[in-house]
Amino acid sequence: MRKAELFTSLFFVVIGIITIVDAVRVGFQWGSSGPESGWFPFYLGVGTLICSGVITVENLARFKKEGASSARLIPEGALTPILWVLLPSVGMVLLTEVLGLHAAAAVFLAFYMRAVGKIGWITVVPVSTLTPLALYVIFDRAFLIPLPGGMLGKFIHLPF
Amino acid sequence: MVENFHNLYMGISVAAQPYNFMVAMIGLILGVIVGVLPGLGGANGVAILIPLTVTMQPIPGIILLSSIYWGALYGGSITSILFNIPGEPWSVATTFDGYPMAKKGHAGKALVISFLSHGVGAVIGVILLSFFAPIIAEFALKFGPAEIFSVMFLTFSAFVGLGGKSAMKTLVSIFFGFTMAAVGMDIVTGQLRMTFGSIDLMGGFNFIVAVIGLFGLGEIFLTVEEGLKMEGIEAKVTFKDIREGAKELAIHWKTLLMGTLIGCWMGLKPGGATPASFMAYGFAKQAARNKDEFGQGAAAGIIAPEAAAHGAGTSATLPMITLGIPGSPTMAVIMGGLMIFGLTPGPMLFKEHADFVWGLIGSCWVGNFIGLFIVLAFTPLFAAVLKVRFAILMPAIVYVCAIGAYAVNNRMIDCYYMLGFGVLGYIFKKLDYPLAPMVLALVLGDMAEAAMRQALIMGQGSPVVFFRFPIALPVMTAAIIIFFWPSISGIIRKRRIKVGPG
Repeated sequence: MRKAELFTSLFFVVIGIITIVDAVRVGFQWGSSGPESGWFPFYLGVGTLICSGVITVENLARFKKEGASSARLIPEGALTPILWVLLPSVGMVLLTEVLGLHAAAAVFLAFYMRAVGKIGWITVVPVSTLTPLALYVIFDRAFLIPLPGGMLGKFIHLPF
Repeated sequence: MVENFHNLYMGISVAAQPYNFMVAMIGLILGVIVGVLPGLGGANGVAILIPLTVTMQPIPGIILLSSIYWGALYGGSITSILFNIPGEPWSVATTFDGYPMAKKGHAGKALVISFLSHGVGAVIGVILLSFFAPIIAEFALKFGPAEIFSVMFLTFSAFVGLGGKSAMKTLVSIFFGFTMAAVGMDIVTGQLRMTFGSIDLMGGFNFIVAVIGLFGLGEIFLTVEEGLKMEGIEAKVTFKDIREGAKELAIHWKTLLMGTLIGCWMGLKPGGATPASFMAYGFAKQAARNKDEFGQGAAAGIIAPEAAAHGAGTSATLPMITLGIPGSPTMAVIMGGLMIFGLTPGPMLFKEHADFVWGLIGSCWVGNFIGLFIVLAFTPLFAAVLKVRFAILMPAIVYVCAIGAYAVNNRMIDCYYMLGFGVLGYIFKKLDYPLAPMVLALVLGDMAEAAMRQALIMGQGSPVVFFRFPIALPVMTAAIIIFFWPSISGIIRKRRIKVGPG
């Protein structure tokens, strides 16, 4: 937990520094027509840096005194189920680039139900085909909101 | 005053038109489902459906969005009472007494008490909304950039001073939200900021994507981590339950009124609904004659937090439509929906689009009433949603989230942002960084920056402009006091201890 605290606050220290550097690049002073573009971000960066710096120092002090605490960011045994959600979700988004969102979601649904839920094919097949089909009809057809078709999207033409 | 009555009548009749009525029904049903499902809440339920409303007319569109919100307010309590899983943060306090009462076999009665309290909270909240909104809007017409900025400053200092989390972490969260809002094109000069040559970053970060990631995926990770145990209690709402529930409400009318008023008051400030429900629960417990009953299924322990939550939810609409400053992530998303229709919330909305504003207020009346009947009639159906295996629900929720994230701007990169925000949301929750201020900062970023810069130009660079009479000065003073409230109240307490016996 304490390491995670440190990493998070350091992440914000870095964000603060990046913001300040970029604000200085675009100009952060009082220009001819009022504050320049970097004026507001500059102070945001300074604020982020100060606050995350304070958190980092506090955490470091505690870290030195008590060492890394036994409490973990992700409790024992919980990492696996979380990764089982995260990785397939990332996979779905990546697959969307190729297959399009609805097809990728069908694969994702089937995979998750089968691999994690250990659900029988009798449920898996209809759910994983009908859900994307229904959402396709609602979004792409009824409300005319085009969702990503991926590289193959051009070649798939559904009759409805 | 008479004019307001007339406007209200017009608004209600707009909201009661068959098409709008149907839209409200659909929104409410979706809202209750969204409120029941873990990982989907009011904020991201609305966020996902925003793309759908783009093709609609503004009035039915906003009715759909706000109905989802009312539905989610009702739906959150179903899971708290039947499954001991709060569907929404503001229904945590309901689990304390709602679940024990359901366990004793009075599930139906517990639900009725909760729904009716919601109903009363809603009615009082909507009455306040109907009559104060025009007055506040009239007042807000006098606001210049300095005043707008001072009200925003008040909003954020309320998060720092009254949010109950570490002040430093809240500040980091606010700054990070503003920084993300600044990415992309500077609205004043047109210069590119923090894009580092990337075209994707030029479009900036959309807060709707952030909401879907933070509250959708982040919440799913938390749910998975805790290991989902769904042990629900079967419930049917009978007429006997309704009669008994109404009787309890009549007995505890003082608690009911107190809860609602706490809710309406707290709802005006940002992040109000959740603290309001806890506060109301605490007060109800203190005021009760037999405190031992609390935690064992006391009716008052359900009434107070539920009325407060719905009262707060309703009164949160007030700052959003009159000042253009949303108090909660859900309100921010609804405001985002308004902006997609080309309507900028704020005092001018009352002048320029009076029909729209009153249609929205009218739909609060209609939506909350139908909502009450829907939940009373169909609770078993909604509870059945949770009987669906999590392995089926979870991928479907992620899928719907991805649709919502993509459709906001039709950009694939937003799906990746959504994943990133999901991880960020999980880490924030675990490390106790508050999420709501970050989302609000992301929403208000451009507006706050523009107001601040304009005000400074008017004041020729001197920050004194933020303390000018008659509006900015008291607002800024209040903001500064609230900002330092934890330290101020600490000092007061120490003084008292010194003076007192000891």
